Amino acid sequence: MKELVALSTQDRIRAIRDLPVSFQEKKHIRCVLHHEYDKLYIKSARQSLELWQGTLKEIGGKFGSSVLSYFLFLKWLLMFNVFSFLINFGFITIPLLVHGPSPSNVTFRGLEILTGAGYFAHTVLYYGSYSNQTLLEPVEYDMQLSYFFTIAVFMVLCKITLIYSMSKSFQENYVPADSSSSSAWLLLTGWDFTVINEKAVRQRKDNLRESLSESAQSELLTRSEKLKHFGVHLGCWILSTGLAVGCGAGVYFLCQYEQKTLLVPFVVSLFNLVIPLFYSLFNKFEVYSSQRSQIYTLVGRNVLLRMVILGVLCHYWMDVVAENFQCWESRVGQALYRLVLFDFFFLMLGSLFGEFLSNVIGTKLLLHLGVPEFDVARNVLDLIYSQTLAWIGIYFSPLLPVMQMIKLFILFYIKKVSLIQNCQPPRRSARAAQMQTIFIFLLFFPFFLGALSVVAYTAWSLSPSEQCGPFRGLNKTFSVIESWMEDVDELQGSRWAAWIYQNIILSQIFFFLVTLIVLVIIYVFWQVSQGRKELIGLLKQQIVNEGKDKSFLLDKLQKLQSSRKKNLKRKKKKRVGHAGPAESRGGGRRSVGPGPPTEPRSVRLQRPHSGHAGPTAGAE
Amino acid sequence: MGTTASQLGKDLLSEYQELTFLTKQEILLAHKRFTELLTKDEKDHQNTRVSMERILTLPELKSNPFRKRICHVFSTSEQKDGGLTFEDFLDLLSAFSDSATLEIKSHYAFRIFDFDDDGTLDRGDLEKLVNCLTGETDDTRLTTEEMRQLIDNILEESDIDKDGTVNLSEFQHVISRSPDFVSSFKIVL
Repeated sequence: MKELVALSTQDRIRAIRDLPVSFQEKKHIRCVLHHEYDKLYIKSARQSLELWQGTLKEIGGKFGSSVLSYFLFLKWLLMFNVFSFLINFGFITIPLLVHGPSPSNVTFRGLEILTGAGYFAHTVLYYGSYSNQTLLEPVEYDMQLSYFFTIAVFMVLCKITLIYSMSKSFQENYVPADSSSSSAWLLLTGWDFTVINEKAVRQRKDNLRESLSESAQSELLTRSEKLKHFGVHLGCWILSTGLAVGCGAGVYFLCQYEQKTLLVPFVVSLFNLVIPLFYSLFNKFEVYSSQRSQIYTLVGRNVLLRMVILGVLCHYWMDVVAENFQCWESRVGQALYRLVLFDFFFLMLGSLFGEFLSNVIGTKLLLHLGVPEFDVARNVLDLIYSQTLAWIGIYFSPLLPVMQMIKLFILFYIKKVSLIQNCQPPRRSARAAQMQTIFIFLLFFPFFLGALSVVAYTAWSLSPSEQCGPFRGLNKTFSVIESWMEDVDELQGSRWAAWIYQNIILSQIFFFLVTLIVLVIIYVFWQVSQGRKELIGLLKQQIVNEGKDKSFLLDKLQKLQSSRKKNLKRKKKKRVGHAGPAESRGGGRRSVGPGPPTEPRSVRLQRPHSGHAGPTAGAE
Repeated sequence: MGTTASQLGKDLLSEYQELTFLTKQEILLAHKRFTELLTKDEKDHQNTRVSMERILTLPELKSNPFRKRICHVFSTSEQKDGGLTFEDFLDLLSAFSDSATLEIKSHYAFRIFDFDDDGTLDRGDLEKLVNCLTGETDDTRLTTEEMRQLIDNILEESDIDKDGTVNLSEFQHVISRSPDFVSSFKIVL
């Protein structure tokens, strides 16, 4: 109680809530303390604004938390895009619209929605139509600087958000791999209380029984079997890498038709739809020791495929388009628009083919296949891929997040309907929390870092087009900062800013030192974690030793007590008893006291780990 | 919604908000769902206890394999019949809510799994736990041999001090290594 009084109001509320006692007792504690309280209105307001809460609950109730994690991820991405749209629209587009955009004389024909060219090419959708002037009314507003800084700040914010959510997720979900532990407890404590659908519960019970009886039998592989498995793995890896490289080459070849037809976005999206199906097929032939490694392999191969394709495309844009076209940034923006759009069509097709068709096949034609499960890993990778497109496109087409927003919004409903109509709850419970961590990690590396380096390369090394866009007439985009700094240097009051720019931002020694310091910090932390690991081992050993001590002492106690009872009985027989039961019990306890100290000491000396058994002295 | 708010009273509501992990909306919803379980004349009384049978008609609990244990653990009834008052019910929802801590959740999970209420999970408790999860009937139950092996595995893995039972701190240690527990130990109305 006294501890509670000392706390602040907020902490006190938390402390009371944290007590694992019944409601009435909590109420009592609170009455005793009797204090003023802050109302938690903000939290409840946030709760009521939560998007799709009912739908998410329904999905979680039927399919469990691993499928739910896909939808939560989708929602998270949607919020992310709303945020980036607000930033871009607010700082780049609105000033331009206020200023009055250059009127376009191309009429809208409808086909542009598909190609992203024509009418759209002269709208604020793309880089090309942004002006390089400084607005004078109502306030002075330099379009060049605002364009540069908005994109830069947006990228930095993205990076911070991603690193933050990644580290949080790691902190909560990262489990030190313990090779000795079997998965029995994981299965038992992994029961999903969110699942409330009767049928789903029954199915989960069946699955759990299978995995439990599996986990009860341990299997050992012979060397030849191991070799065979290794061979199959190697073959599948070679084959899937070959496929990815082949796709990359195909895209590279097709890129020459990029400007005239819709072939490239079509083929790229087709690859993204079909090749993963092959990968899933390979997976059927391979034997994995755990489901986790199976999923990781699948995810790894898919990531490789997407990286190859995106790499080839970026190479084409940076090297070929940038050299040969006027207004090349808008061209790249259009290409990205088409990719985003086609990706959306193919995601819808994917739901239709991947889920609807296999449902029809599973229930009507090949009954042994059964109703399909929702493939969380593949679907999340699709989301990550489309988000990467949006990130790369942010420089070339600042309003691309709008597309992404609409796309994600519609996708949520399509996936929901498809899931409920076509799929069954997952047969084996995947480790949802860990999967979530992996997804965010993948989103950050390689995809976000890749997109970031593409944008950074464009701003640092490529020369912007001469006829259009905010950076027309400059050598490279970064020159904006250089000339701005020259202006700043002339102002009396802000010399320091120019000095910082000259001596820190542009200096290599500064970055060298920063890198060095970061490396040292990483090394120190690594050492600390190694030390902790050792300590954990020692402490575990200590607990075991103490347990042994405890059981030994209990044994001794029992023996002593029984011999004592015998003695008492004998005495009782001799003189017909006055001693009440309470007295005899008390006497027994007292007499045990002097017994143990002599006994365990000798035992402790015999034990090999006597060093860790130290604290037993306190127990005596 | 407005009528339920007035029924609960502002003071009571903020007290509930303070003592549970639930938000205002969640408490109001809980109240609404709880009053639906009451009969007409029970509605006038405060702190009526609803019998376990009626609580278990809620779809959120109906098919839960631990439904009876959950009621027993959260019930403050003196007859030990698993009946819940509204405050017991809030307590339940609070422990199963999104924002409840791992500490709270693992504590209640331990008590739910401790079928004989003796403070440790012994072989009997573990057997009942496994049976609850696989289904009680003969054809769904594990064989005796499998069950023995499984319980041996469990004890091998989690009984750190080797006393043949799993106590609360050992259980919490296990829970801390299964990150999915927090997200799956959840009941939302």
